Amino acid sequence: MSFYIATVVVIFGIDVLAAWALNLQYGLAGIPNFAFIVFQAAGAYTAAILTLGPMTASSAQTYIGGAHVPFVVGLIASMAGGAALAAVVGAFAMKRMRADYQAAILLILALILNQFVTTDTSLFNGTSGLANITRPLGSLINPNSTGWQWAYAGLVWALCAVVLFVVQRLSRSSWGRALRAQRDHDAAAAALGCNVVALKLQVFVIGGAIAGLSGGLLVFYLQAWNTGTWGYEETLAIFVSILIGGVANNWGVIVGTFLVQIVFVEVPNLLPQFGYIGLVDALEWIVIGLLWMIAIAFRPQGVIPERRVRAARLGAGAPIRAVPGEPPSRAASRPVGSAQQVPLGAAGPVSGSSEQ
Amino acid sequence: MIAVQTPQGARPLVEVEDLVVTYGGVRAVDGVTLSVAAGEVLGIVGPNGAGKSTLLAAIGGQMRPERGHVRLDGADITRLPPHRRARRGVVRTFQDTSEFGRLTVFENLLVAGLGEQGASLVAATLGARAQGRRTAVAVARATELISRFELDHLRDAYAMELSGGQRRLVEVMRCLMREPRLLLLDEPTVGVAPHLSEQLRHEYRRIAASGVAVLMIEHVLEVVEAVCDRVIVMENGAVIAEGSFDEVMQSKAVQDAYLG
Ligand SMILES: Nc1ncnc2c1ncn2[C@@H]1O[C@H](COP(=O)(O)OP(=O)(O)OP(=O)(O)O)[C@@H](O)[C@H]1O
Ligand SMILES: [Mg+2]
Repeated sequence: MSFYIATVVVIFGIDVLAAWALNLQYGLAGIPNFAFIVFQAAGAYTAAILTLGPMTASSAQTYIGGAHVPFVVGLIASMAGGAALAAVVGAFAMKRMRADYQAAILLILALILNQFVTTDTSLFNGTSGLANITRPLGSLINPNSTGWQWAYAGLVWALCAVVLFVVQRLSRSSWGRALRAQRDHDAAAAALGCNVVALKLQVFVIGGAIAGLSGGLLVFYLQAWNTGTWGYEETLAIFVSILIGGVANNWGVIVGTFLVQIVFVEVPNLLPQFGYIGLVDALEWIVIGLLWMIAIAFRPQGVIPERRVRAARLGAGAPIRAVPGEPPSRAASRPVGSAQQVPLGAAGPVSGSSEQ
Repeated sequence: MIAVQTPQGARPLVEVEDLVVTYGGVRAVDGVTLSVAAGEVLGIVGPNGAGKSTLLAAIGGQMRPERGHVRLDGADITRLPPHRRARRGVVRTFQDTSEFGRLTVFENLLVAGLGEQGASLVAATLGARAQGRRTAVAVARATELISRFELDHLRDAYAMELSGGQRRLVEVMRCLMREPRLLLLDEPTVGVAPHLSEQLRHEYRRIAASGVAVLMIEHVLEVVEAVCDRVIVMENGAVIAEGSFDEVMQSKAVQDAYLG
């Protein structure tokens, strides 16, 4: 049982990482990345081939490249793999276009890539995918033991903490604010000096890197890379986690991911199977699809919506006029904190004349 | 074509030359030439569909003209994307208000105040200290502006929660957060209550007095008369009259085309 719980904890952490990555792209920046799973797969593939070792004549599987790098390098490479693919795809998919066209392009891209990788045996080994990827840290703990399971779970969640810190910092920065601004009105953001295409490309690549990392962690855990597991419906499950948990709210996304990936995807595997083979699986996806529709219809911002950033948090003092119409008081008009040294309207044409 | 003059001796900050802008095959702007001097407010009037907003879009960079040139301070900016124009001091409002709905009023102003620096990933992460200083300046400015326009009680409201007139104010305040050299306003007083509309008029005059060129589309002739130094009248994509408010209103072409 402990073994099984550890498995769930690992998968949960990896799914949360993926959901944060997509939430950066979709929640913060409004990019409907329906190809998301492809970037996770790219990271996983990169990590796999870099640890499988060079391909030899006797290798039972074919892949591109091949090396024996340490686990940590493999993880970093998985981020690079996801980011690199995102840069290539983003270079054309992040151009100024309507969001619905962008969604269509990305979804089609995901389908084509999956088809290509599945069919092409000379490069990606077709449907067989890759197997026999060694679990890391095997020299320290027996990789088949429960202890290893928990150690890996600890590692995954430690990385989650780091990624959450980075993602929150980015989201709350002025860069994150500019991203949210262009999400709401891209022409206005551009007219205020924001390079919208660059902003979207940047967040797309950062999201791609985190997606790649989650893929790397997954492939080291599963020891296999299988094209069948990278279907577009996996992207849908992550979208639903975000829609349920909270668009642009990274804490809410943890809740959403738990509900969708654990309660709706993992738990049914424990239930006694009924009906014909695959019925439970199919029902699972029907439920996820229904959840999507319900979420969009009733709570498009999610159960825990985006947090309102109050002016006080940005270093603004009390409003100059608490009650509209009341004359401004000189004392209250001085903002607190770091802004104190700055004379009001110090720069530009806004200066002076607070007396109306 | 009517030759467009600027006030005596003033060197035009903005020069638009023979501009043609089309939607598909339709010529919405058909050979417009005009100029605006620093410190001048130029009004654009004309019937619905005359091409006023399209002209503004070509100057602001939202639309690519098919022909002609836009110059700012002598530099050709015809092909520059909007964010690059913004960096050169071109700032605008939109006919349909363009608030960032899921940002608070305060954040709307901060995005404007920080502009390209705010949107820079490097400045926002590695240059945190300098960014902090810039933010402090923007915060002070935003606080003052919000008070001046009596929106203190709404500074933490999402822009999508505002009324139409309040959204218009937020848009104008965003412009005031920047240091424009050229201010483009598309019907900037629509929906604003009389006393604030009055205040906006003073604001535009004051901005112009600080050396900014202002180009303003406005249907309300009373506002045009009060704010604009000079007026052009557009119809079917072309300028049909140009001059002071009184001159323009008396011209035969305007009487026929616009005032009916
Ligand atoms: N997106 C568009 N696609 C096609 N045609 C357009 C588009 N926008 C405007 N037009 C056409 O271009 C012409 C000029 O439109 P424009 O919006 O510039 O007029 P306007 O002078 O600003 O009018 P209003 O006073 O009603 O705002 C009109 O004939 C209009 O039908
Ligand atoms: Mg218009």
